[in-house]
Amino acid sequence: MMNDELIYRAEEDIQRLPARLDYKLVLLENHEDNIVLRDGKVEKTLRATSHSLAINLYLDGRDGFFYTNDLRPDSVKGFIRQAFETTRLLEPDDSRTLADPSRYYQGGGPDLQNFDASLSEIDPEEKISLLRDIAAEAEGSDPRIISMQTRYTDRQHQARYLISNGFDQSEQSSYCTLTSIVTVEGEGGQHPMDGWGESRLFFHQMPRHGIAPVALRRTLQKVGQRPAPSGRYRMILESPCAGNFLQPILNAMNGQALQQKSSFLLGKLGERVLSPLVNIVDDPLQPGTRGASLFDYDGVATQRRELFTDGCLKTFFIDTPMSRKLGIAATTQGIHRLIMKPHTNPSPLSSGGSGEGVSILVTDFNGGNCDPVTGNFSYGIEGLLMEGGTVVQPVSGMNITGNMLDVWQRLSHVADDADPWETELIPSLTFEDVAFSGC
Amino acid sequence: MTSSCECFSPFKGESERVYADIFVENTDISSMVLQDGKVSQAQQVRLYGAGIRAVCGSETSYAYTMDLSEEGLRKAANSFTPTPLRGGGLPLQDFIHPFNPSSPRGMGGEAVRKILLDVEEKARALDSSIIRVKAYVSQRMQQVQFAGSDGTAFQDFRPRTSLSVSIVMERGGQTQMGFASRMMQMGQEFFSDALIDEVVREAVSRTDFLFAASQIEGGEMPVVMAAGSSGILLHEAIGHAFEADFIRTGDSIFTGKLGQQICHPSISIVDDGTLTGDAGMLRYDDEGIAGQRTVLVHEGKLNSFLYDRISAHHFGVKPTGNGRRESFRCLPLPRMRSTYMLPGEAREEDIIRSVKRGIYAESFTNGQVQIGAGDFTFFMKTGYLIEDGRLTRPLRDLNIIGNGPEALRRISMVGDNLKIDHSASMCGKEGQRVAVSQGLPTVLIDKLIVG
Repeated sequence: MMNDELIYRAEEDIQRLPARLDYKLVLLENHEDNIVLRDGKVEKTLRATSHSLAINLYLDGRDGFFYTNDLRPDSVKGFIRQAFETTRLLEPDDSRTLADPSRYYQGGGPDLQNFDASLSEIDPEEKISLLRDIAAEAEGSDPRIISMQTRYTDRQHQARYLISNGFDQSEQSSYCTLTSIVTVEGEGGQHPMDGWGESRLFFHQMPRHGIAPVALRRTLQKVGQRPAPSGRYRMILESPCAGNFLQPILNAMNGQALQQKSSFLLGKLGERVLSPLVNIVDDPLQPGTRGASLFDYDGVATQRRELFTDGCLKTFFIDTPMSRKLGIAATTQGIHRLIMKPHTNPSPLSSGGSGEGVSILVTDFNGGNCDPVTGNFSYGIEGLLMEGGTVVQPVSGMNITGNMLDVWQRLSHVADDADPWETELIPSLTFEDVAFSGC
Repeated sequence: MTSSCECFSPFKGESERVYADIFVENTDISSMVLQDGKVSQAQQVRLYGAGIRAVCGSETSYAYTMDLSEEGLRKAANSFTPTPLRGGGLPLQDFIHPFNPSSPRGMGGEAVRKILLDVEEKARALDSSIIRVKAYVSQRMQQVQFAGSDGTAFQDFRPRTSLSVSIVMERGGQTQMGFASRMMQMGQEFFSDALIDEVVREAVSRTDFLFAASQIEGGEMPVVMAAGSSGILLHEAIGHAFEADFIRTGDSIFTGKLGQQICHPSISIVDDGTLTGDAGMLRYDDEGIAGQRTVLVHEGKLNSFLYDRISAHHFGVKPTGNGRRESFRCLPLPRMRSTYMLPGEAREEDIIRSVKRGIYAESFTNGQVQIGAGDFTFFMKTGYLIEDGRLTRPLRDLNIIGNGPEALRRISMVGDNLKIDHSASMCGKEGQRVAVSQGLPTVLIDKLIVG
């Protein structure tokens, strides 16, 4: 249980300041456990609980953000006084206000079933035992293994919100993650490394099998990686990394990017900017899922929201300040649980191949960037060169280049293999005629 | 503080097997943002707490707390340590001295506000096509105290200040955005008219450059890395793979290569924690080891890895002062400081003249490496095409890929113009970000993949 006294005391400290201010107070409590097993032995353990206070002060169009984990009463009082003095120095900007209270979450929402209260009480030995079982499935199973790390992480998050214009709510969530990373002896002195991980909301949901063997398989398939010849190939993005390729588009939907004229989606609301196969929603209200939330950081009630329908851009992420600056209606601060709708089933991979001709299955990105204004990108990739469904060679040291809006028009297939336990459910995606540079 | 250190042994009787330490931090970070012609946003962050570590053989337990009372520290220390390390009687509070309230502060808010407004004015005076100026000043004042069970103890004050400027220009219906920054381990002495002018001019000229620049069809080609921020090559191609935790576990491609010739004898590379004012400077690392200069590659031979206490103990060598952590919440790890190549003898113009067709890479945004395979990438924001030994077409937005050991072997010319880059550069590892810098003289790499 969180200590409400702390937040009320901070509120009193603000109310004693020599000016009338609006404020947002968020008291945070996080508990985390981390255990790392290497080659069967415990290598690292970490357990900690942290408390902190985030404060937004609003003074006649001036807005300051302040954060402290020094919650001793005198320290908080001094910190708030200092925060006030800093806020007073700012120039007024009429856009910087709290959200309209009519948009706040009013309570009465469903139980999101996303908090495991027992996580911090479970004996660490039980977590270590789970890790040992996970690791044992792959340990010693291949003579090329150099090292194997298996990691357990869990986190409980609780937050208490108090906003001066009428918002008083709490939220909580948790997750646990198991990850295995394997390094093997490769060719030419290389030590290929890859991993696999699974997350759940509750400890009892954690898988007991299959993580380390997948990590080992993914690592072994990298042995002999080299660049393929430069050319234009069909590109299949494997689900775990497909979300990375969507990220620049999500960034371009941000109100701040639009207002600063640094978005390649500026002026494109309502237009069909991506392939008609792209249907994406943000759905934060599904109980028992990661990312589920009844309100955002501003206290605004969340809702299911269409981002792209048949490739058509349906919304931007506009918070209160950006709504005022841009003169358009506020929507949401950002995404909570992103779901891309499958188009055809199943993925080219699970149906026995990558289709006709030559394609490159991209299993991970390696660096690169996208210009936020033009949408031109260049990313390093690794994966498998495939022909007619057969692996020709593992590839690495290659780049893909192009323009985001152009390449997303050439999306030809959306699979149905997204991991339902992730916060972004982006399945494997196939793009035609993508420029790869290699040897 | 030192006099108390002999008491710092919660594990008396096990001193042969156990090492323990405590890292206490009190950090204030303040920042102000100029946007749309106004300084209307400010942030202030205070981090306060202690991290307690116990090491027994290859096993490390860690806990952190914001409660620096004796009870709070004891609770944290006993929260999750494995059985052999559990013990009572932690007189840890004896080690924590009151933080000095009169430690130098950063520049005051009003002065920072004026600097930011000055940035806007200077930028707009340089180019009338500027439609947006965004500027950001961050000042991080970190006080730390450390005590280890081997008697090591120190306290330090680490100021760090940065200025970042981004510019948006619009010409003939085209929009471009450019960026420049500086970060130093300094307090208010960081700010000078010369520095502000330099950062503003760099941001404006980089944005202007983008209107004429384009991408090219990718492939393998020679790459000339310009002096300065091209040090990202060293950071990604070898720096991370030299971090000794990756050597200890066998993950790094450089495992087992100590003492071997790995590149041309004209090449020497160092990682340096002694450069005054540099973002990577450390009087002591976060494990109490004195700041030092470590020669990684000496005349082409692999001379040393980057060791923290744990990896140094594993290999029976002295730590090199590379144990760093983002905050008291994090375990220290081997990390880089300022990584650079010593100058050679070639003149830059001769290096460019030697290339028939290739790339001259000038500024960068980000990079990445795969430790085991050695494959690295870095993203070139601006540069030029080299044709017949001359810089011709302006280029932008190219990802450059190579393999660390191969790229080192392919360095065929080293310039005489070493430059350390002081852009705001943060390095990430296991979720922790620390400030670093890098430098390079102009070098020619005979072949890399450019995309």
